[in-house]
Amino acid sequence: METETLLLNMGPVHPSTHGVLRFKLRMDGEIIRDCQIVVGYLHRGTEKFGEMKTYLQFIPYTDRLDYIAAMPNNYAYVKAVEELAGIEVPQRAEYIRVLVMELNRVINHLVFMGSLLLDLGASTMIMYGFRERENALQLYESLCGARMTFNYIRPGGVREDLPDGFIPKLNEFIKDMEKRIVDYEELVNGNEIFLMRMKNIGVINAEEAINYGMTGPSMRGSGVDHDIRKLEPYSIYQDLDFKACMRREGDSYARYLVRVDEIRESLHILKQIVDKLPKGNTINQRYGFAPNTGAPSAVTSYFPRIFTPAEGEVYSRIEAPKGELGFFVASDGTTKPYRVKIRSPSFCNLVALPKMVLGLKIPDLIAAFGTIDIVLGDVDR
Amino acid sequence: MITNPNAYDLIIAILNAIGVYNIILGFFQDQGMEYVLRIIIVLVEVAVVVVFALVTVMFLSWLERKMFAVVQSRYGPMVTGPRGLFQPIADGIKLLGKEDIIPAKADRWIFTLAPFIVFVSVLLVFIPLPFGESLILSDLRVGLLYIIAISAITPVSILLAGWASNNKYSLMGAIRAVAQDISYTIPLAITAIAVVVFVGSLSTVDIVNAQQGYWFGFIPKWFIFLQPLGFILFLIACIAEMGRIPFDFQESEQELVAGFFTEYSGMKFAMFFLAEYAHLFAVSGIIVTIFLGGWTGPAIPLIPIQITSLIYFMIKTYAVIFFAMWLRDTVPRVRIDQLLHLGWKIMIPLALLNLLFAAFLVTFVVTAGVR
Amino acid sequence: MIGIIKGLIVTMKHILKIGNRKTVTVQYPYERMKVAPRFRGRHAVDEDACIGCGICETTCPNSTITIVKYGTRWFPEFNLGMCLFCGLCVDACPMNALKMTGDYELADYSRESLIYGPERILFKKEVSK
Repeated sequence: METETLLLNMGPVHPSTHGVLRFKLRMDGEIIRDCQIVVGYLHRGTEKFGEMKTYLQFIPYTDRLDYIAAMPNNYAYVKAVEELAGIEVPQRAEYIRVLVMELNRVINHLVFMGSLLLDLGASTMIMYGFRERENALQLYESLCGARMTFNYIRPGGVREDLPDGFIPKLNEFIKDMEKRIVDYEELVNGNEIFLMRMKNIGVINAEEAINYGMTGPSMRGSGVDHDIRKLEPYSIYQDLDFKACMRREGDSYARYLVRVDEIRESLHILKQIVDKLPKGNTINQRYGFAPNTGAPSAVTSYFPRIFTPAEGEVYSRIEAPKGELGFFVASDGTTKPYRVKIRSPSFCNLVALPKMVLGLKIPDLIAAFGTIDIVLGDVDR
Repeated sequence: MITNPNAYDLIIAILNAIGVYNIILGFFQDQGMEYVLRIIIVLVEVAVVVVFALVTVMFLSWLERKMFAVVQSRYGPMVTGPRGLFQPIADGIKLLGKEDIIPAKADRWIFTLAPFIVFVSVLLVFIPLPFGESLILSDLRVGLLYIIAISAITPVSILLAGWASNNKYSLMGAIRAVAQDISYTIPLAITAIAVVVFVGSLSTVDIVNAQQGYWFGFIPKWFIFLQPLGFILFLIACIAEMGRIPFDFQESEQELVAGFFTEYSGMKFAMFFLAEYAHLFAVSGIIVTIFLGGWTGPAIPLIPIQITSLIYFMIKTYAVIFFAMWLRDTVPRVRIDQLLHLGWKIMIPLALLNLLFAAFLVTFVVTAGVR
Repeated sequence: MIGIIKGLIVTMKHILKIGNRKTVTVQYPYERMKVAPRFRGRHAVDEDACIGCGICETTCPNSTITIVKYGTRWFPEFNLGMCLFCGLCVDACPMNALKMTGDYELADYSRESLIYGPERILFKKEVSK
C-alpha cells in the first residue's frame, strides 16, 4: 500500500515542550523518521545585554537564563568576573555560595522529576516535587528576598549573610527531603509502566554523548565520568566529600536515576556545609558590593558600584544542575564587558535529542526530551 | 422464559401500592389510549436516567478533582458551594458561555454530530444496567452483548470527531482510540463470556441473580472469586475502554495536545466531557454487575429491597470508580504500541485461557453449585 | 505489578494523610502566606532620608527609575512594569532611604498605573526616642 510521511509540527505551543520549543517531525505513522529542532522563540538577547550593562547590572539578567535553578547562573557569571578582576572571596561567602547552589540542584532535580512524570502522564509527582520545592524557595526568600530570580551572589561574596533561623530550617528541609525521596522512589522508580517507558528509550552511548557536547547528568547517564566539580574543583568543592553520580546504560532511565542520586548527594553536601560553615565576612570588604544596612561594616563595603577590571578575557565554567555552564567574559578595561558569551547546558544537551529519538515514537520523544531536562530560557538566552 | 421485573413494573407496582394505578389506567382506557400511559411511564424512566447520569457526571468530575487534590496534598475546588461541590455547575455555565468554534477547514456536519453520538452511545449503556432489584430500564435478554456492541459505537464517533477536525493531532488521537478499542473489546468480550458460561444467560439481571447467596455461609458468590484472573483482565480492559490513565491515548495530553477533541470548544467539548464521566460510571457499573455481585448484599429488615439493593450497587460502583481514580493519580501512561502489545499478545491469550478455565469449572466442579 | 502497588500505597498514604503528608496549599485570596522580612516587593522611599541623588537611577539595570520633582524636592519614580525586582537600587542607596516592602500584589489594568510616583511610595520612618 502506498503511504506517505506526515509532517508534524510540534510546538512552539504544545503542552510538553517545556516552553516554546518547536520540533519539526517527519512521521511515518507514529514513528519519527526525522526530527528537527527549531529554537529561538524565547530569544531575549541576554548576551547582548551583557555588553550593555555594567558588571554588576548584568547579574539580575543571569537569573533569567535557567530560571529553575538561578543560583548557579549567578555564580558562574560572578566567578568569571572575579577571575577577570582577581577578586578574593571570603571563606564564609564561598560556603554560602555552595550551599545555595546545591540547594538549587535539589530544586532543579525535583522539578525535573515532576515534569518528566507529568510528560509521561502521571501528574502527582510534580505536586510532590513542588511541595518540597516550596520549602526550599521559602529558604531562599528569607535569604535574599526573592524566590526564583535571586540576584544574590555578588563579585567578592554574597549579598547578605544568612538570616536568623536559616540553618535550623535548612536542617529541617534536609531531614524532610530524605524521607520524601523514599516516597518518590516508591512511587516512581519501581513502577513497571514507568520502566516500560524509560528503559532502552533515547539511548545515546558515551562516545556520541561526548561528540554532541552533552554535559552534566544527561552525559553521566551515558557512563562518562565528567563532573566539573571533580575535574576542576572550584570554590570549596575540593574540601567536600561527594561523588559524581554515574550510570552506564545511556537510556532515559539512567539519566533519570543519575538525577535522583544527585539529590541525595546534594543533601549530603548540604549537611557537610552546615557542619563546616565558618564565621567571618560574607563579602570582600574592598571589592564587595553589599547592601548598606546601616551597620558600620556594611557602609564601607558599598563602594564599587562600578568597577573596571583590567583588559583581558576569561572563560569560567561550573557544574550547573543541567550540565556545564560556562561564561566567557572579555573586558576592554571599561565599566562594561566587551563581550559575554554564555555556554548554556540546556542548548548543548538539546542538540543530541534528534540522535536519540530517530526511529522511536512520539511518546518516546516526549520521554527522552523530558530526561534531557532543559529550560527554554537557557536554550534561547 | 420468565422476564425479570424491570423499572416499568416497579413504577406500576408503586402506583398500585398508593392505589392510583387503576384510576389512571381507567382514565386512559376510557379514551382508548392505553399506549399513551405506557409511553408516559417510559419517558419518566428515561428522564430519571438522564437526570441521574448528568448529576452523576457532575458529582464524578468534582470527585475526580477532589481526589486528585487530596492525593497531591492540595485542597482542590473549595469556593463554589460547600467544599466546592458546585464547581461542575460553574464549569458548565462557563462552557455554555464559550464561543463555539468550528475550524474553517473542518467537516461541519460530522464535527457537530460527533460529540452527540458519543454522549448518546454512552447513555444507551445505561439501559440494561441493573441499579437494583427490578431497578433496570429494560432487562434485555442479550444485555451483555448489547453493552459490548454499544460500547463499540464510541470509537466510531471519536474517529468521526478526529477526522472532521482536520487536525493532525486529532486524527492521531482518533486513530489511537480506534486501535485501542479494537484490541481491548476482544479480551473484554471473552472475559465476559467466561462469566456467561457460568450463568447461562446474557441478561444482566440473570448474572446478578446468579451471584446471590454465599459459599460456606460467608463468601459471597461473586464471580470475582470464581474468576480472579478474569476480573483483573476485565478491569484492565475496561480502563482501556474508558480511555483513562494509564491508557488514555485518545487524549494523551502531553503527546497529542488534547487528542481527538483538540479543536472542540464550548458545549461540544462539554459533551465529550460528560460522555467521559458517564462512561466511567457505566463501565464501573458493568464491572460491579458482572464480577462484584451487582446489587446483591445482606438484606436489611424493614427497608424495601429496591432501596437496599440500590445502595449496595452504588457503594460497589463508587468503590470501582475510586480505584480507577486512585490508579490515575499514581501511574504514568503506557505507550500506544506497548498497549497494543499487551492487548493482543498477553490479554487475549490469557482471556482465552480464562475462558477454558471457566468451562472446565462449569463442567467438572461447580456444575450445580452456581446455577 | 509490585512497583505499581507500591506506588498505590504511597498515594493512599497521602489520601489518608499518614505521616507528615498533610495538605500544604494555601487558599490564596482568603489566606496569605507571610512573606520574609527581606522580601523584594514594591519599593518604598524614606521621605526624610532621600536626597534625590539619582544613584539608584544609574544603578538600575533596566531604566526603571527616574528622578522626578515632587513638591519642592526630588524623589525617584518607579516604573514597576519594567522593574526586575533585583534590589540593586536598594543596595546602592547611599542614604539608606530605599527599601523594598512585602507588597507583591501589583497587577493593574494599565501601564500608566504601574508607574509608582513619589505619592505612592514615600513613607516617613518613625523616629524612635
